[in-house]
Amino acid sequence: MMEELEDAFITFIRTQQKSLYRLAYSYTKNEQDALDVVQDSIQKGWLALKKLTNREQMKSWFYTILVHTAIDLLRKQKRIELIGDESLLQLSEQDTYQNLDLQQALHHLPLQLREVVVLRYFEDLKIEDVAHILAIPLSTAKSRLYKALKLLKIELETEEN
Amino acid sequence: MNDDKLKKLHAQYKDVPIPEELETIIEKNLQRPLKKRKRKLPIFSISAAAAVVLFTVGLNTNPAMAKSLADVPVIGPVVQVLTFTKYEMVKDEYTAEIQVPQISGSSADIEALNEKYAEEGKTLYEQFKADIEEMEAGNMAVNSGYVIETDTDELLSFGRYVEVTVVSSSTVMKYTTIDKKAETVITLPSLFKDDRYLDIISRYIEDELRNRMIETEGSDMYWIGGTEYHDESFGVFEGISPDQNFYITEEGKLVMSFDVYEIAPGFMGLVTVEIPTELLQDVLVSNKYIK
Repeated sequence: MMEELEDAFITFIRTQQKSLYRLAYSYTKNEQDALDVVQDSIQKGWLALKKLTNREQMKSWFYTILVHTAIDLLRKQKRIELIGDESLLQLSEQDTYQNLDLQQALHHLPLQLREVVVLRYFEDLKIEDVAHILAIPLSTAKSRLYKALKLLKIELETEEN
Repeated sequence: MNDDKLKKLHAQYKDVPIPEELETIIEKNLQRPLKKRKRKLPIFSISAAAAVVLFTVGLNTNPAMAKSLADVPVIGPVVQVLTFTKYEMVKDEYTAEIQVPQISGSSADIEALNEKYAEEGKTLYEQFKADIEEMEAGNMAVNSGYVIETDTDELLSFGRYVEVTVVSSSTVMKYTTIDKKAETVITLPSLFKDDRYLDIISRYIEDELRNRMIETEGSDMYWIGGTEYHDESFGVFEGISPDQNFYITEEGKLVMSFDVYEIAPGFMGLVTVEIPTELLQDVLVSNKYIK
């Protein structure tokens, strides 16, 4: 059983390596740190693999590890500033985003808003999985996503809720 | 996804260049972890070309060596650690520098160690040559040698390290402690009356590392439960084993050492914890080594 699970893990990492790297890079913004995050996450994955009971959840399980590892690294390098949700949701477009192009605007979003956009739209995860990976309530995930899109001046035809 | 702006952002996200080394790193980390505590010299799987080899037998005279020799009094302890053999290779992007230590002394314990070091040094070098044969691109460096932690009239504690660099580096350290008078190797269990030390040391390490995490608000990270900083579902440190790495300081303090990934994420590097002697006093055989 364990061996099969290990094989599935190996296949998952091998086939998803570019996605994993991009996701790590979206946090670290530099190549060396992103590679370190991927590497550390795989090592943690090996340690935690026996606790993964449902193989269907490999992706969201591993993304959780990777996101934690990336945030740990940023925290270690003191490059992170987490903001309370109350202040997050009070950010206004006038604050910093006026003269930026779209990509710069994304990069200037507070981490907690940016990661929701990255996971939901670029990694194509369900909002429920995003909430699970980030260990936040579903309602918080939705409000952060909504706020992020608003700051980026992106209007969707169909809203998340 | 039904908005042009999002599509554009998504395209830019996908445009992040993927470093060439990614695949090598992934493969290196996908090797099933070696069975716990049976750690061998690291195995690498990589690429390229024949090589220029410098093979030096005898005591060599590089600056690092000169420094470690300078720490050894000329008259005094008989048991010393010296560089016996050195393997070196520099070829394109590949470099290897492997120093094989040898301990002077004539006991069976010391002879066995010397034989083991010679064998491991050779194996490491052969492995490196084999790996770069397979490697197509990229760079790799292997650096192996030793550091002396303690050298007193009674004790010699030194660590042998193997550092492998493929983009980022990882280091494995293995300590040895020798009673210089008796010319015997001191093992962890030999210091204690019975098994109780395992638990005493393990619990102290947990408390100590948990405190370090709390004091640094999580910028130091260890795989220890009980704080908000490490998610226990990823696995936690369970305890030391009788062959756990250790050394003894000049002041006679026991220091436990953990390799990269053994007790903490890779970015923490090697981790050491000094154990207060008073905690061990009841279970120590004597205060001959540990004071």
